[in-house]
Amino acid sequence: MKKEDRPARYIKERKGYFSEAQVDRTKKESKKMSQRIRKEMSSKKVRAKAMSYFDDVMEYGGPRVAELEKFKKGGGKVVGTMCVMVPSELTYAAGARSIRLCSGYYECVHPANELLGDAGLCPMVKSTLGSEMVGANPITDLVDLVVTPATCDGKMKLAEILEDWVDVHIMNLPRVKTGDTTSKTWLAEIEFLKSRLEALTGRSIGKKDIIEQIELYNSAQEVYRDLLEHRKGRRVSITGQDAMLVAQASQMDDVRRWTKKVRELVLELDMMEREGRFVGEEGGARILLAGSPMIYPNFKIPSIVEDSGGTIITDELCTGIRLMSDPIVLESRTMRGVMEAIAEKYFYPCSCPCFTPNDERINRIKMSIKAFGAEGVVFHSLRGCHLNNLEATKIELELKSAGIPMLKLESEYDEGDVEQVRTRVEAFVEMLRARR
Amino acid sequence: MSADYKGRNIRPLRVVFQLGAFAFFIGQLLGLPPFGTEPVLRRVFLPNAACRYMNTAPTSCFYYQLQDSLAHGASDLFASALIMLLVVILLVLVLGRTWCSWLCPFGFVQELFSDLRELVGIPFLRMGFASRVLLRRVKYAILILTVLITVPLGISALGLAGCTGALSLPFCQVCPAKGFFTIFQQILGLEPWSTRLPLLAWASLLIFLGTNVFMRMPFCRICPMGGLMALFAGGSMIYLKKDPDRCTKCRICLRVCPMDHDRVYEEMGRIDVGGEDCTLCARCVEMCPEEGCLSLAAGPFVLVTSRPPKKVGLGRIFQRIRGNDR
Repeated sequence: MKKEDRPARYIKERKGYFSEAQVDRTKKESKKMSQRIRKEMSSKKVRAKAMSYFDDVMEYGGPRVAELEKFKKGGGKVVGTMCVMVPSELTYAAGARSIRLCSGYYECVHPANELLGDAGLCPMVKSTLGSEMVGANPITDLVDLVVTPATCDGKMKLAEILEDWVDVHIMNLPRVKTGDTTSKTWLAEIEFLKSRLEALTGRSIGKKDIIEQIELYNSAQEVYRDLLEHRKGRRVSITGQDAMLVAQASQMDDVRRWTKKVRELVLELDMMEREGRFVGEEGGARILLAGSPMIYPNFKIPSIVEDSGGTIITDELCTGIRLMSDPIVLESRTMRGVMEAIAEKYFYPCSCPCFTPNDERINRIKMSIKAFGAEGVVFHSLRGCHLNNLEATKIELELKSAGIPMLKLESEYDEGDVEQVRTRVEAFVEMLRARR
Repeated sequence: MSADYKGRNIRPLRVVFQLGAFAFFIGQLLGLPPFGTEPVLRRVFLPNAACRYMNTAPTSCFYYQLQDSLAHGASDLFASALIMLLVVILLVLVLGRTWCSWLCPFGFVQELFSDLRELVGIPFLRMGFASRVLLRRVKYAILILTVLITVPLGISALGLAGCTGALSLPFCQVCPAKGFFTIFQQILGLEPWSTRLPLLAWASLLIFLGTNVFMRMPFCRICPMGGLMALFAGGSMIYLKKDPDRCTKCRICLRVCPMDHDRVYEEMGRIDVGGEDCTLCARCVEMCPEEGCLSLAAGPFVLVTSRPPKKVGLGRIFQRIRGNDR
């Protein structure tokens, strides 16, 4: 059903629900936040020049907005995605563009709070909702269809509320990975998504289109793996924030151009290492970042960690490395074989805490600790992110027996807890250094 | 027939082995001298070497001989059958089920059918867990049934000695390989067209061809010789090795496995994930995107191990020439 034909569920009178002043304030504050973060990240003494491209892509109202506006004027469609289980390959194969909707802007939380009261909900979900409701972010305003898998409770209900504003396609994600029906259910959902995208763009998705996109994404992953190699050395040439920014840009940018730019970045990192230019301090504590998603510009935790003498050498986030791992491997090139390959890639290796059982996650963390030589884990969960909160207990126990200390942090979408978090992180980094 | 993106490229090597074995079995066509009707080599029976009804094959399928010596073995208390069985067990303990995917001509034929199916664009059937388990048991059932039919034949006190003939080779009567290789040789001119196939052989051949249209390796799943090997392949020297610490549970191994061998995906404790239905074709090793997660190993040595996918073949060269993102 189109959104126009459907009675609103959460707001009966959309017009005037949010005052002009509030809309303006949300926009202004969001823009300010993006500028502040960009300034903070680009003012680092050592930083690859190629990074400024990725700053542009992610910036509030950056050049990508104008580009997509032009694309839309030519009849193109923009699809917004929520979680990492949505195959961008299909979106691009249908001739549409895809952007990630999850929002990291603090100010956008307030409109959602006004609507929902204090629902004890994760701030990222609230920010996404708020941003969509008041039209705070020019890039998310462009979406024609939101595709969201029913992952956590927050995202699930968010999908329902968002239907008052924009067309939403909810995917029934099986949350139990074992059993015999899961792969069939998910394959059917992916096939349904395909037909929905075909209806949106009016273009049928052929086998060749999908395979072309799969190869593009696979080569993007190949390049990102090269970038990760630069984080394995004794000293690293790229900060954890920058690597995360690059990964997130892949969901906003045209993947072909993104791959090219990352390749340039990798070449520059090579050169920086030869010249002996490294980020972070000598002998900084090597830290793995895990937990709830950290969407640009909510880089509070990583920036505190990296300002306190820690070096984030890897992460286990759906806003970081998870975006660019697990290639699609085609066994059969029949349409069904291709769809199965896509469905399984976006389901089985995903270590989102919404899945049960989720032993893959701890396995992945341990694997990264070994591969990147991490000394400690910072596990961050957003307030109200129950799934990550629950998993933290399990992961802490596992890591304890492996002899890796873990710091568990909880944070909100505001600046209020910065100093408190900083104190704890500093103590943790000191402890890691003292253990050597 | 697979994507340009993959880790290792093992299939070509395997095809060389399979073609070599195949050429050996029909060597007469290639100008090799005929092995005669009863040469010495012809009395060598190896696990799945070649069908007994392939006249030019120097060695033949052990399952034929097993039935034969069980049906006639009561007089020497099955001593010859047991000795041969021991030799085969020893071979399997060393080489595992590599017999199946690296040498067996009938397995090779089914792989070619798979390639043909891919070429035409027919998707293969993906069975549910229950049907996979059920099918897996069929091969043991056939094995037990064969023993139950053949052994009483040889015991003279039962007075069944007169019933030998077809009954002493019960499985060969329904094995599709018999029909397939007979017609194959007739087409090549190695066997006169006057040789008539029994109706049962025709039926099983048609069922075999029919299932191949939508299924990967249909016969291998129920092959009793494979079942016999599966009993001992668990601890073979050549084995499929998994490093559970590197596994991301992406399920690619199970999806690409022509035998739907679940253990390679499910197992997270043991290192040897072969055995049972695994024929050591190393398809999963080729496709596994994690560095060093799956490997084909011989004792303490790793023969080949998985690695992240790269563009292979012509695609790689084009990528170098163009130097762009594709």
